[in-house]
Amino acid sequence: MAADRRYYGVPLRFAYTPHPVAGMTSSVLRSYVEGVDPASGRLVMDEVVDALTKPLGPGERVVEHARVPWSRLPQELIEPDTEDNLQRLFYERGWTDGLPVILPTRERVAAMLEGTTHLPDEVVGEIYLERTFERVRFTVEMVAIIGVMAGARPEHLPVILAVASTAEPSIPRSTTPFGRMLLVNGPVRHEIGMNAGVGAFSPRTLANSVIGRAWTLLTISWGGFRLKEQFWSSQGNPVSYSNMCVAENEEASPWEPFHVEKGFEATESTVSLFRGWNVVNNVVGSSHRSVGEDMFTQIRPLVSPYSAATLVLDPLVARHLESDQGFKTKAAFCRWLSEHFRLPAREYWDNDVVDMLVGPLAVRGVEPYATWRNLPPDTLIAPYDKPAEMNVVVVGGETSPMWKVSDFSYTVSASVDRWRAQPLTTECDDGSCGLAGESLPHAGYPRPGDSSTGTPPAAF
Amino acid sequence: MAKPNRVEVLSPEGCRTVVADEGTAGREPGSLWTMAPRLDDLRGKTVYLVDTGFGGSGKFLDEMQAWLAEHLPTVVAVRRRKTGHVFRDDTKDLWAEIKERGQAAVLGVAG
Repeated sequence: MAADRRYYGVPLRFAYTPHPVAGMTSSVLRSYVEGVDPASGRLVMDEVVDALTKPLGPGERVVEHARVPWSRLPQELIEPDTEDNLQRLFYERGWTDGLPVILPTRERVAAMLEGTTHLPDEVVGEIYLERTFERVRFTVEMVAIIGVMAGARPEHLPVILAVASTAEPSIPRSTTPFGRMLLVNGPVRHEIGMNAGVGAFSPRTLANSVIGRAWTLLTISWGGFRLKEQFWSSQGNPVSYSNMCVAENEEASPWEPFHVEKGFEATESTVSLFRGWNVVNNVVGSSHRSVGEDMFTQIRPLVSPYSAATLVLDPLVARHLESDQGFKTKAAFCRWLSEHFRLPAREYWDNDVVDMLVGPLAVRGVEPYATWRNLPPDTLIAPYDKPAEMNVVVVGGETSPMWKVSDFSYTVSASVDRWRAQPLTTECDDGSCGLAGESLPHAGYPRPGDSSTGTPPAAF
Repeated sequence: MAKPNRVEVLSPEGCRTVVADEGTAGREPGSLWTMAPRLDDLRGKTVYLVDTGFGGSGKFLDEMQAWLAEHLPTVVAVRRRKTGHVFRDDTKDLWAEIKERGQAAVLGVAG
């Protein structure tokens, strides 16, 4: 019987089974029940019975909750060393994505911070580490360190800060192979040389590569993403190297840019994040059936809960849909897909993810899921019942009418402009210039108007 | 041969600011929780086996129910699936039912 403090500090009694449970046969699961708890070495059912019958110990009767004040961990001092040795150190500490990084010297980080006028010690966001029950706040300076490591230039920093401000990990904690997509919209795409055209998703363009990479380095460094600690994805996902970081080809698209759909002005610059598992590419085109009908064959094996889908269309495909097929908006095409794609009810419910996430809605009587749950297995349903949850993004160089179909859902957008470098003479009515907020001690980089000489403050 | 240059770098983990906040589940800091008293034994008791909804957990608890029927036949093992979202603490009706009709509960499993 293992006591554990995983849940709000309450010392719940846990018994552990061998892993995995998902996908195992009944006979294997019976062997788990009759077998040994791998954590304690005791029989699983002895542990379960004991958990229900052994009297509570002193530490279990009453639990007092107390918030522990924020505490600052000191900046770890790394002994100066050769570049080769430091590269090895960074790798062995688990701070990299397995590839060499640009070492974050004080000078490089200071140069990176020129990409924003936000103060190095301004808090950008906060993440929660379930393994250690820690909430970790990160600052502009810390994001700049990661930006250097990723190979970014100062002009990329506002985009990386915008991603960091969402506090979303590029690698969600899961044993499944989650992948992410990072979409940039607005004028910043051109200003920093992002690729929205030929080979936009390929390893070719600096801005796409380093911004996408920085997101994963952020996740690794602060999320404690050490293998078999916080990171348990059984197979992993190569998408996580660069997170499909791309810009939308707004100029070649016949439709509204993605960020405008989400309420931003066209003149604003944003990042938008997506999350899912699968991306399917079409090949050649659709000569024998419509684009939508072709997509049905690709969507079918992806069927995801909550109608989550993201379609990435080359401008050739987008303009074909708009001018030849009459879909005047992205939403109109999503509605058509939603109304016309069909699937047998059994195929839908036999999908474990659907059962896990949508099943409870059916049990609660939420429609149409409650009705679908009771249909004869071969009855056709339209499982993408929420077209508003389907996304269309236009990316590509018009060399071929290509598209990608994915089960990615849209999660959040964030302003890039908020983090841009502003003219240093800018003043505002209250004197804060939009920089108000909590601050943490920084590592002493020279900054505009600061007499600091680079000596770390006493807190370090 | 010249010695390679030594470089000074910063840790990417930086000056983390950390709170060991275990959460208060909506309660005021300093409030008290009391765990439910344990049973003397399980004979004749109603034990709920609650499937979280995670893939495979229902089948696992089916096997646990079968084990109880075989080894502790006087236990009334009730198999239920957690209502609400698999990953959220949003269940109320089932917890109320267990408090009213059951004497113990096992919640499982993920993986």
